Amino acid sequence: MTGAIQYAKRRFESARAALGRGAGTETTESTADLGAAGVHVQLWLLAGLVLFPILVAVVVSTKQQGIVTSLPDLLPGTYAVENYREAIVDYGFARFMWNSLLMSVVVVVGKLVVSVLAAVAIVYYRVPYKDLVFLFVLFTLLLPVPVRFVPLFQLMNDLGWSNSLLAITVPYIASATTVFILRQHFLSIPTSIVETAKLDGVGPLKFTLRVLVPMSRGVLVGVSIIMFVYAWNQYLWPLVIIDSEANQVAQVGLQLLQGDVQGGQLSWSLVMAGSVLTLLPPLALMILFRKPLLETFAIQQK
Amino acid sequence: MTTITLETLSKEFDDVVAVNGIDLTVRDGEFLVVVGPSGCGKSTTLRLLAGLETPTDGEIRMDSRDVTGAEPKDRNVAMVFQNYALYPHMTGRRNITFGMNAAGSFTDEEIDRRVAKAAETLDIADLLDRKPQAMSGGERQRVALGRAIVRDPDAFLMDEPLSNLDAKLRIQMRAELTRLHAELGTTTVYVTHDQTEAMTLGERVVVMDDGRIQQVDPPQALYDFPTNRFVAEFIGDPAMNMIDVELEGGAAVHDAFRIPLPAGSAEGETGAGTEPLADPDAGGRRHAVLGIRPEDLHLARERPDLGETTFDATVEVTEPLGDSLLVHCSIGNETVKMGAEPRSSLEPGGAVSVGYDPERLHLFDPETGEAFYHSATATAPADRAEPVVTD
Amino acid sequence: MSTREIFDGRLEAALLLAPTAIVSAVFLYYPTALAFRTSFFESGFGRAPEFVGLENYVSLLGNPEYHSSVLISVVFAAIVVVGVIAVSLYLTFLIHEVDAGQGWYLISVIWPYALPPAVGALVFLFMVHPTLGVLTGPIEALGIELDWFNDGPQAFVVVALAAIWKQIGYNVIFMIAAMKNVPDALTETAEIDGVGRLRRLVSVYVPIMTPTLFFLVIIDTIYAFFGTFAFVDLLTSGGPSNATNVLIFDLYREAFSFFNFGTASAKSVVLFLVVAVLMAVQFRLTEEYSYYGA
Repeated sequence: MTGAIQYAKRRFESARAALGRGAGTETTESTADLGAAGVHVQLWLLAGLVLFPILVAVVVSTKQQGIVTSLPDLLPGTYAVENYREAIVDYGFARFMWNSLLMSVVVVVGKLVVSVLAAVAIVYYRVPYKDLVFLFVLFTLLLPVPVRFVPLFQLMNDLGWSNSLLAITVPYIASATTVFILRQHFLSIPTSIVETAKLDGVGPLKFTLRVLVPMSRGVLVGVSIIMFVYAWNQYLWPLVIIDSEANQVAQVGLQLLQGDVQGGQLSWSLVMAGSVLTLLPPLALMILFRKPLLETFAIQQK
Repeated sequence: MTTITLETLSKEFDDVVAVNGIDLTVRDGEFLVVVGPSGCGKSTTLRLLAGLETPTDGEIRMDSRDVTGAEPKDRNVAMVFQNYALYPHMTGRRNITFGMNAAGSFTDEEIDRRVAKAAETLDIADLLDRKPQAMSGGERQRVALGRAIVRDPDAFLMDEPLSNLDAKLRIQMRAELTRLHAELGTTTVYVTHDQTEAMTLGERVVVMDDGRIQQVDPPQALYDFPTNRFVAEFIGDPAMNMIDVELEGGAAVHDAFRIPLPAGSAEGETGAGTEPLADPDAGGRRHAVLGIRPEDLHLARERPDLGETTFDATVEVTEPLGDSLLVHCSIGNETVKMGAEPRSSLEPGGAVSVGYDPERLHLFDPETGEAFYHSATATAPADRAEPVVTD
Repeated sequence: MSTREIFDGRLEAALLLAPTAIVSAVFLYYPTALAFRTSFFESGFGRAPEFVGLENYVSLLGNPEYHSSVLISVVFAAIVVVGVIAVSLYLTFLIHEVDAGQGWYLISVIWPYALPPAVGALVFLFMVHPTLGVLTGPIEALGIELDWFNDGPQAFVVVALAAIWKQIGYNVIFMIAAMKNVPDALTETAEIDGVGRLRRLVSVYVPIMTPTLFFLVIIDTIYAFFGTFAFVDLLTSGGPSNATNVLIFDLYREAFSFFNFGTASAKSVVLFLVVAVLMAVQFRLTEEYSYYGA
């Protein structure tokens, strides 16, 4: 902390020195300032730009054809119920969404359980070569799915897991990020609390369930959201490994819809309905749990 | 009720020796304070007692039981930490009982009874259903104490328990701890870096430095008869003045003054140490360090009763402390601090005449730092065996 | 000298670590090793793998199509990273400076963090579709003929814009935290000295946020290389005429359109090296800045 302040001070000193050199222009600087209203106007414009595409998607998903060529076409239509029904029932989005949900929940729960166990061992056990084990886990950060999806595809075929829930969940269960975040959080729990548990003779199971987990609620929620968004948004791997529509996830389901619309068999409003449906679960979770999510990100960067 | 014995206890971390072969007996029911600067090994000693660290060498006994290698939970000790170490997600009651459940040797009724009793003793009944975040620092520390006493341990181990509290609360809790100890009579080892806390709380005080015990004595004896320079300078605030002098003919000689050293019996026999004041090999002269506490120096005009020997000093800075005035002044090439009456009008640069209390002089060996003379025992050799509390 | 290592049991610790270790070994390390091995073979569906030594790598070295894919990826990553950082930094600064409604503004710009790339791609496709896009009319009114189904550079810009859009949320999340960590005293000192807003951003905030910005540059680079597959796949499929054929898409095609697993594995190894270099850079930077307590 003090280090950060020291650093900030030094940086600021040099910044001031730089300002001093340009002393001639210094006085006019503040007049070029943007006022409070200016900040709001700019924010409205930019935030509007960031929101615009998704608002369009929502509007179009309520229309019959989804042909939009001018601004008046951007008024909401009356086909919302019909479009969403059609996407969910006729085009299998209920199935896709369910598969996505299953995949995400299994990945989140699996990752949490497995990572909590690993982090407990790494932080609270006195064992040799612990640093090596931690490095072994951390090093997997170098091996994201895109680097190994080709051999992984072959491995899944050998295991006979292709086209199954196992294929899109098990490879995700080991998580360097989760272990790292949990380890950082565990290290921030005061040693004296840990030692109190030792003085009282609290065993590892009770310590984990009654002390660690309750004290890590925020982080566990935050990590769960991060992992859910990550799992839900997977596209490349399911595209490669799942080839039956019945087992497909929502992301790739969208690709199937797109194929239909490019082929002229489908209206854009249905594709947008599917898009909105696919966006909703991660977006809702993120907004609902934004506080623990942001706090967990703060840990991750350390 | 337990006596704790430490024998040649050592703890090394990698190549750092934290505790270096200490011998100590904590008497049954005693309130023993361990004090020293940070890194002196006091906390490590406490943690060795708790079983949180394993000694590199030596032995720990509780009564006749050897607990050197015992697990913490098998020692029946309770520890109170500086940061309270309360579980933030548990209520006060749950915090108190959580460890008891773990120990598994209490029935529910027994737990309820003990919590009620502890709550009454500490006046924390209204905190039992609150979580730590809804408590003040003082309240948290009370709950932490509750957690300690509820198990009726053989010993309390306290690691700077008051250091996170503000000054006012600290004084209040100090009195509280004294009362609690009087009530429970449990053997207590209390670690602090604060010498005031050590003096006010301890029945006996252990001063540690550099992994070793420097002195173990009741507070006043520690103050009056420090065994070496470290203890002399560590105990007492502001610290004792240390002036390089030469001993010559039963007096401490400095460029700016000559202070006769009261001697009880024959010249050279000082009482405190049996060494002669003068070293014959050095032609009757010997280097020494003269120690005088600031409160034992006075303006000669304020204390004419102290005797005729005075010396001249130049005032440098004055610091009003309210109940007194702390004067920094120079005597020759030395700067010393001295106490004066409040509201004394002293100008920087002004010359003053300084007197001293001849019964409160100390001499230390310049090489070893060992004390070899205390004028209090030299003038009253009869009191040697049991140092008198002079106040 | 206090310690958190309060439990001993080695067997217990091993059991706790086992799930993570086994999954890592089987599904992360082993496939990577397999990729290295396969890269020395000529291999595909229904063919017995044949050892060819370094031939796959040699042919990559002499393959102009692969070279252009490398070039496209690097330019794409540079544009995406610069674009994301610049837009996010300015947005963050505005939110930091605004006097009311901060929470709402924040949520309205960080939400793309949750946006599935596939959804982002489809929505973008619809927005600027050359014939029925919402924005196509207004853009063409500016005198630009939208024809990105056939025009390579235009397609490249569309994919880049979509990729930038999705990544803004993640960046703002980290930047706002870093900017809020700038001590108030520095802002106040700057104000007293009459330092204007923008100058305060550039001369005070950005230098202090350097560790976070470095972190984001690395994360965004990895994202640009590996996280944008869905955009390319759904918007352009690497076309027109390979204008958006970034490495990750090229690899996908090699493996699952052409079924050349040997060559695809060699390409995987190249990508692995890219990640390794980026991570090494990040590690070095983190080391360098950890001194400042970042």
